[in-house]
Amino acid sequence: MALILAIDTSCDETSAAVVDGQRILSSVVYSQILIHKQWGGVVPNLAKRAHVERLDSVVANALKKYNSIAKVTDWNGSPEYVEKIMHSLDAVAVTYGPGLAVALEAGIVKAKELSNRYHKPLIGVNHMEGHIYSVFMQNRNGNPERPFQFPYLALLVSGGHTELIHMKGHRTYELLGETVDDAGGEALDKAAKMLGLGYPGGPVIEQLAQEVHNEDRYRFPRPMAKSKDYQFSFSGLKTSFLYFLREMGEEEKNKNLRYLASSFQEAVFDSILLKTERAMKEKGLNRILVGGGVSANRYLRKRFRRLVRQYQGEVLFPSFSYLTGDNAAMIGAVGSIMFEQKQFMKDPDALEREPRLLVASSA
Amino acid sequence: MNMKVVPKQTISIPEVVDILHRGGVVVAPTDTVYGLLCDAKNEIAVKKLIAIKNRPAGKPISVFVSDFDMLNAYGVLNVQQSSVLKTILPGRYTIVLDSKHKNSSLLESEKGTLGFRFIDNAFITELVKQFGSPLTATSANLSGSEPHYSIKTLLSDLRSKTELIDLVVDAGDLPHNKPSTVLDLTTPTVQTIRGGDLLWKEDVALISHSEEETQMIARLQMGSILDSVQKKPVVFILEGELGVGKTVFVKAIAESLEIPRVVSPTYVIYYEYDVSGHPFIQYLIHFDLFSLEEDEEFKVLQIDRMLKPGNVLCFEWGEKAGPVFEMLKEKAEIVFIHMKYTGKGEREIAIRRKK
Repeated sequence: MALILAIDTSCDETSAAVVDGQRILSSVVYSQILIHKQWGGVVPNLAKRAHVERLDSVVANALKKYNSIAKVTDWNGSPEYVEKIMHSLDAVAVTYGPGLAVALEAGIVKAKELSNRYHKPLIGVNHMEGHIYSVFMQNRNGNPERPFQFPYLALLVSGGHTELIHMKGHRTYELLGETVDDAGGEALDKAAKMLGLGYPGGPVIEQLAQEVHNEDRYRFPRPMAKSKDYQFSFSGLKTSFLYFLREMGEEEKNKNLRYLASSFQEAVFDSILLKTERAMKEKGLNRILVGGGVSANRYLRKRFRRLVRQYQGEVLFPSFSYLTGDNAAMIGAVGSIMFEQKQFMKDPDALEREPRLLVASSA
Repeated sequence: MNMKVVPKQTISIPEVVDILHRGGVVVAPTDTVYGLLCDAKNEIAVKKLIAIKNRPAGKPISVFVSDFDMLNAYGVLNVQQSSVLKTILPGRYTIVLDSKHKNSSLLESEKGTLGFRFIDNAFITELVKQFGSPLTATSANLSGSEPHYSIKTLLSDLRSKTELIDLVVDAGDLPHNKPSTVLDLTTPTVQTIRGGDLLWKEDVALISHSEEETQMIARLQMGSILDSVQKKPVVFILEGELGVGKTVFVKAIAESLEIPRVVSPTYVIYYEYDVSGHPFIQYLIHFDLFSLEEDEEFKVLQIDRMLKPGNVLCFEWGEKAGPVFEMLKEKAEIVFIHMKYTGKGEREIAIRRKK
């Protein structure tokens, strides 16, 4: 497959990677190398958005790590060193949307510069495609085995997205449905905020719910349960949760924190599973891909495994936990396929950001 | 100095307390992995611990506390926060609070916050209780490498550093529990807009009984700015609690401009929509300042570039727009929307315009 240097700056994370098809040869995500302000497994959402300042070092690090495996040249830190490594690659891929406009811009500028200086083709990648391909990623030795067995039903659920996509072949998609308001991960974050649990909310809700064995004590309404389409909506659930907490009062709320967290999470997940199952039945699909930040939730994974068992199907999640978040490796995987398909920018300077880019037009 | 390895069953807590009081470093089993414990107030002990881990300076380290009194003594907590925490602690959480700066400052983040762990583990809790003040709570491994669930792999990882360790409490192999969940309860520092920042020429309060009514009110507001937007950008500042209908309001504004797919921009801070097909309006830019935490973050958003005639900017959580408010006031027409929940299914929508 093609050797790709990939860059992703769609939102908070500044990341660069070198991949060979599905295989990740090096991957640098800024929050991992960020040495201060880190408390452990989860990084608080601090000012991480000034990508420009650190993009150079993130790219240089990804190239250096790649070189330590590929041994293109000896490290001496000179410009010739970077040049030699760049010449060993096939193309530069970069996310051009969807995402935060100013953040996208930083990555695009850098990718154009590298493409022009080293005469490498430039490939513009849709970030959402990256999340779909994140489940197929492998380490540098080609593990785990993840053959492509189209068609798939792909669900992307994160703090910024909730989308259900029919994937018919490489890079051939039909958007079946998406959220009409808040994203699934965002709903969990905001519920945590209403419970007084700070940020980020998803992992706390998961932990609290697990402590009461995910009991659904309050049976909040399942949003969009009756709609005969594949759309999602979480803002109504958020509002009814707010009313419920008000009626309940502060003291009762705190007493039942775990059950509240659990019941809210259950309503969000039920709604996601309901629409997924509808699409499985109606489209006759039993192989599912789940990507995006919320796919890190262990309970959600369990629910999906249970669901596909009923249909003798299978479900795939991002192969490594850091791939559930934003990362450049998955952008490289898409870039690699696009390279084979010869989908380069004819004029690299013509690549422009598209903050509201869709994965595919709706059917 | 010789490192002692003692099985957990035969350990005497007063003996461990004594080692810690003398500035020693102890490896002990916690609720998650093997941890490195030392007196959180003892600067030299903390430096030793940082050396053992090869930990870059400036990276914060959490501390164990034995109870709520100790948590209160070392971290800043308000009444609501402590009542929330009382229901989830002790447990597998790391609580980030503003520090009262009574431990070594090496443990704190750049912002002066500190991570606290009040865990459900009899040994650690008793140890901290007898010690009388917080102990460090960091995993016993080299910075950047995997934490340890067994003493054997731990000792081989820390091989060259073992002379800095005074005691190892050996509990055999630990169950592979997840790392703790981090909860940041520190208040964002983003400046908020305060009452009296502006003089308002109009002050209307409308009651909405449904989503449809909220949408109608939003469309009416759009109608009323069509004149001024040709001369100046228009900024809607939307304020009100979670779930009160701010996104509904903005979606209605978008629909009046025939933008069909507006979703919440919370995650990416803002989305821009090109509406150049409209006779008077170029761009609708939909902000959500909910997750902004520092004034600095406004700089990267380049809001000044968006303040052009023909552009409409909507700010959800607009009360956090303090750092750019002077600029907005100067360059734009401002419509201030305050939404309030007033009873089941009923909201008051107060609309004010700048003089």
